[in-house]
Amino acid sequence: MARDPKYDILFEPIQLGPKTLKNRFYQVPHCIGAGSEKPGFQAYHRGMKAEGGWGACCTEYCSIHPESDDTSRVSARIWDEGDVRNLAAMCDKLHEHGALAGIELWYGGPHAPCMESRATPRGPSQIASDFELNIFPRYMDQDDIDTVQQMYVDAALRARDAGFDIVYVYGAHAYLPFQFLSPFYNRRTDKYGGSFENRARFWRESLIKVREAVGDDCAIASRFAVDHLLGPTSIEVGEDGIRFVEYCDDVVDLWDFTVGDIAEWGQNAGPSRFFEENHEAPYTGQIKAGDHTNKPVVGVGRITNPDTMVAIIKSGQYDIIGAARPSISDPFLPNKIDEGRLDDIRECIGCNQCISRWEIGGPPMVCTQNATAGEEYRRGWHPEKFHKADNADKGVLIVGAGPAGMECAMVLGKRGMSAVHLVEAEKEIGGSVNWISQLGHSDGKENLFRGTARGLGEWKRIVNYRQIQLDKLRNVEVHTNSRLTAQDVLEYGAEIVVIATGCHFATDGMNAATHEPIPGADTSLDWQLTPDQVVAGSKKIGKRVLVLENEAYYMGASVAQKLAGEGHEVSLLTQAGDIASYMEYTLEAPMLHRDLHRLGVGIHPYTMVERLEQGVAHAYNVWNPEHKEQFEIDSVVLCTARISNDELYRELKSDKARLEQEGIEAVYVIGGAAAPRMIVDSIFDGHRLAREIDSPHPEMPLPFIRERRLWGETSNDDYLQQLQAASDVASPV
Amino acid sequence: MSAGVLVVAESRQGELREVSRELLSLGAELAGASGGGLSVAVIGSGAERFAAELQAPGVTEVLTVSAPTEHFEAHVWERAVEGLIESEDPAVILCGHTIDSLGFAPALAARLGLGFATDVTSVSWSEVGPRVHRGAYGDKLSAQLAFGGKKHTLLTVRPGIFAPAEPGDGSAAVRAVEVDLSGTARTEHLGFVEAAASGVDITKAEFLLSIGRGIEDKDNIPRFQELADRLGATLSSSRPLVDAGWMDSSRQVGQSGKTVKPRLYLAMGISGAVQHLAGMRGADTIIAVNSDPEAPIFGVAHFGAVADMFEVADELEDALG
Amino acid sequence: MKIVVCVKQVAALDDEFELREDGLGVDPDSLERDLNEWDSFSLEAALQLREQVGGDGHEVVAVTVGDEEAEDALLGCLARGADRAVRVWDEDVLARGDVLVTARALAAAVSREEPDLVLCGVQSSDAVNGATGTAVAGLLGLPRVAVVKQLEFDSAAGTVTVARELEGGLVERLRIALPALLTIQTGINEPGYATLRAIKQAREKPLEALEPSDLGLDPGELERVAGARLEAMAPPERGAGAEMLEGSPAEQANRILELVRERVTS
Repeated sequence: MARDPKYDILFEPIQLGPKTLKNRFYQVPHCIGAGSEKPGFQAYHRGMKAEGGWGACCTEYCSIHPESDDTSRVSARIWDEGDVRNLAAMCDKLHEHGALAGIELWYGGPHAPCMESRATPRGPSQIASDFELNIFPRYMDQDDIDTVQQMYVDAALRARDAGFDIVYVYGAHAYLPFQFLSPFYNRRTDKYGGSFENRARFWRESLIKVREAVGDDCAIASRFAVDHLLGPTSIEVGEDGIRFVEYCDDVVDLWDFTVGDIAEWGQNAGPSRFFEENHEAPYTGQIKAGDHTNKPVVGVGRITNPDTMVAIIKSGQYDIIGAARPSISDPFLPNKIDEGRLDDIRECIGCNQCISRWEIGGPPMVCTQNATAGEEYRRGWHPEKFHKADNADKGVLIVGAGPAGMECAMVLGKRGMSAVHLVEAEKEIGGSVNWISQLGHSDGKENLFRGTARGLGEWKRIVNYRQIQLDKLRNVEVHTNSRLTAQDVLEYGAEIVVIATGCHFATDGMNAATHEPIPGADTSLDWQLTPDQVVAGSKKIGKRVLVLENEAYYMGASVAQKLAGEGHEVSLLTQAGDIASYMEYTLEAPMLHRDLHRLGVGIHPYTMVERLEQGVAHAYNVWNPEHKEQFEIDSVVLCTARISNDELYRELKSDKARLEQEGIEAVYVIGGAAAPRMIVDSIFDGHRLAREIDSPHPEMPLPFIRERRLWGETSNDDYLQQLQAASDVASPV
Repeated sequence: MSAGVLVVAESRQGELREVSRELLSLGAELAGASGGGLSVAVIGSGAERFAAELQAPGVTEVLTVSAPTEHFEAHVWERAVEGLIESEDPAVILCGHTIDSLGFAPALAARLGLGFATDVTSVSWSEVGPRVHRGAYGDKLSAQLAFGGKKHTLLTVRPGIFAPAEPGDGSAAVRAVEVDLSGTARTEHLGFVEAAASGVDITKAEFLLSIGRGIEDKDNIPRFQELADRLGATLSSSRPLVDAGWMDSSRQVGQSGKTVKPRLYLAMGISGAVQHLAGMRGADTIIAVNSDPEAPIFGVAHFGAVADMFEVADELEDALG
Repeated sequence: MKIVVCVKQVAALDDEFELREDGLGVDPDSLERDLNEWDSFSLEAALQLREQVGGDGHEVVAVTVGDEEAEDALLGCLARGADRAVRVWDEDVLARGDVLVTARALAAAVSREEPDLVLCGVQSSDAVNGATGTAVAGLLGLPRVAVVKQLEFDSAAGTVTVARELEGGLVERLRIALPALLTIQTGINEPGYATLRAIKQAREKPLEALEPSDLGLDPGELERVAGARLEAMAPPERGAGAEMLEGSPAEQANRILELVRERVTS
């Protein structure tokens, strides 16, 4: 189909200084865990987006010098010629598809702990980072300022040589240039502190120096948080925010606007449970619309709807639609709009799993919606292209249409299997997503700082996308309301059987803390519930509710939020040091805590339930089991262990002769039925099996390319010799 | 060739059905064009009691056929209309495209070799007799049909297309037509029951009031639920409200929700994303209320109002009293 | 007991379809074919009845008027449990035929089977006539009920009790003696599906392909039973989109209420 003319505006080119951006789709800098040390990952991931139509793609934050080292979190680095070579691979990939390559030059100041380089970061004032532990910067005198600005210039020159078209001086998220600008960090009394012009001086000078160095060849961009969201103690959009844009408008070719900082960057990368599409507009929208800049503006807000994109450009909010997460979830979003295939767009669900792995430090980025994200190079997966399976003549039965089963069926369908039957016991496909997506909203009204407790409704997009794709696949049949027994499966006539029957919550309080059930726990009783029973609403829940959360992610907290929003008095217990600790990584935790606090949920860390009896829960402190605590309760919700629904799989495997007799060549188990896990990993599991269904041993993942330095490489030998020669001195006696 | 038009009126449980009056206004127009008379037949025990109600402008004669069954019976009606064709020789016989007609009209047309078309949405008179339009491929196309060479053409006409005729002055003659209907019934009527109220099934609703992002706040939903109740509509929604957890997914219209084909779809505050349109464009009539004149929903709507959905809701509530 | 189920391989239009050059149809490449949704329910009703009566000697026969591609629909019925299938076609008269032509051909095929019960879908999703089943009944002189939402078979009495779904949520209950024809409404049951094995085995079941002459139908005569002649086919005139309701919100609301009364309450 052809593009709807109303979207033409999204495909108009726009000039960025000396460069032309071919359309209005722009992948803003975002982390993926590749940096400069996994050049294949970096090049193929960004290159995939260029293939999918994005007009420009940027690196993640890219350190200009070992003094800005964020280890264990993975940044890009452009410290030397080796980095130039590795990042040039990314530039080449982008240029192959006519996209521009951007690099986000970064100096973190005290926010970069330098654990690998062991360097000392410099900063405008000697104030420790507000979120790193005890990292103090060295106060910068004029020589230091000159030195660091020269680092920017040197890095920019290397970036140009690598082939980058857009060079950022990155300040947003409270890194060094912003630290100079903001009185929250800057307490100087010299010409770099005090007045607005003084505080802005470092950033402006840096921009000018970089511009002088590479401005003829590259577009100069700056990423700026127009509001720090800290009130008058820092940058507010109506004050220094607008002022700074006007002050530096002449020295940039492109503005990239955000809000907030890195300490709570969930205000920028807003999770869907608190923020809706284009949520930064109240701040970032003021600049262009208020006529405070003459330069092109890009901005984000998890924008996946092409109508929203058009409205944003027409209203003068942005000129260019920026995206990080939507581009991960669907690298082909621009092409799909261009081709009129809107219903094929794989919309970001805002779960922030992509961010979580980077936050953990080390693992590659993942995506719930797009299992191929991060796998473009190392596994050779393409989100839109599928090789015909060598065993496409086989018939496949997939039992269970949860995340893993849906994904597996979809990918097998796209791989051209002759017949795929996806059979689901419930009335609708989607599995656990169908009830999980009803969690997480509280009363849904009162504003929480900037967001609202919207809940996990957008997670339903997991099902929406797959349902639409499955509907289109003529070789896939989906049958619901059909619970298959082992006998049914044996007689189904499939050569390949995939069991994707999911998992369930323990009914007896079995948990990861004690590895035992909790005495008195029994969710068949009317006053005890598993989380899915809370959503189902089939049991009356009393006024005082104890929620025991044992899985460190969203479940316990979401249940507490829901119940407290409905007027229950909720105590939330965890054996860990904090509830929902994984939500720190998904950036949901700060807003979650605000909501739980607002709702009066009592949070009890390091507390475990010892036994339950009707009316009272007996608990203890995990550091001193003699320290008992009793909770008077009417109901209890046990978010404890999950257990695979693997009876069907076990029964099928128990009689191999029968399998053979029925012509069943293989039985696989995926997702929660194999082992309970996060949705993102269940979908990956289903995808992986389908991608490798024709490998010699599909149950065993094929090896992936590991980008690591091989012993015997000679590229660093010269430097090594230099180091060894320099250290070769007599004993200092 | 005869040019007369015969309308077959429809009644149920002692009341004339609205579609009968719609057929009368179409019949009057057609008879005017063909130069023939317009007669309207009412079949049943005590058919005379509807004679007055059927005195619409243009009606030349009201015919009553007395039937042995109290309620509609397909085989009795089939024979009754056959008798009317024999005695009145009409060029065009107009029935509603209704459940009752589905039970006898096609049988009659097949048996007698009549000109025949169902669910027609327009009828005109031409040199070769009637010419009609009807939908094809779920109304994505419109087919034009003619019936050259057929002495009688039976048409079932889609309800809701033609404005119902106003009652006339009562000058048309009323005549009983005798058709021997004894022994024609082949089914035994056991009673009428109200359909059991089940859980919400928006695919079965005849009238959907559907709300979208324009609702702005979860707190506004009960108000539109109430409005739906008062209008006799079922409440449905577009995806953003389900995404936000404000509406249950069973009420979601669209490609990833339910595909609906109600008689009337009243969309308020729905801009009309392509996935949504895919789920509702099959509705017979679509009315869209949206404050954005550029909203894509106006591209598929039959009627549109550029207005604030809350103001329109205020007025609807006032008008409903 | 022998039940004949009349089915149709319907065609849905792609979003971007092309009309044939003669303007009397659609380019076949623009069509996606599938078993008519209503027929899936009537087939299920037949299979459930066969199961209810139990024992041997009962048969469900699927009959269609359709081209070779329509065998996919028949194979689907066989896979789901029909015992035999019959397809009637010719590329001339039937290919151009309207609902009454189709009904005549179906009637001939059904009559050959001498069934106890004939089940049809209320309508097909592409032609939406709602007429084929009742027309077949008329031609065969079979008693019939249209738009059946519930069905109970009394084997001792040889009758079926049905519920006929009327407009506005009213239901009429009726009793009818066999042999009879019923047109089945969606939602009457929950259609089953075929396993992969059943799909493979369906190919082994009898599937007869007939021409009208095999059923004693004369092509010339068959052509003459057509109820209408297609003159043209075109996208519906929706003009420049919606008719806009002008005026104040109050005026707009009043017009909306009028439309509600006109389109729903009638």
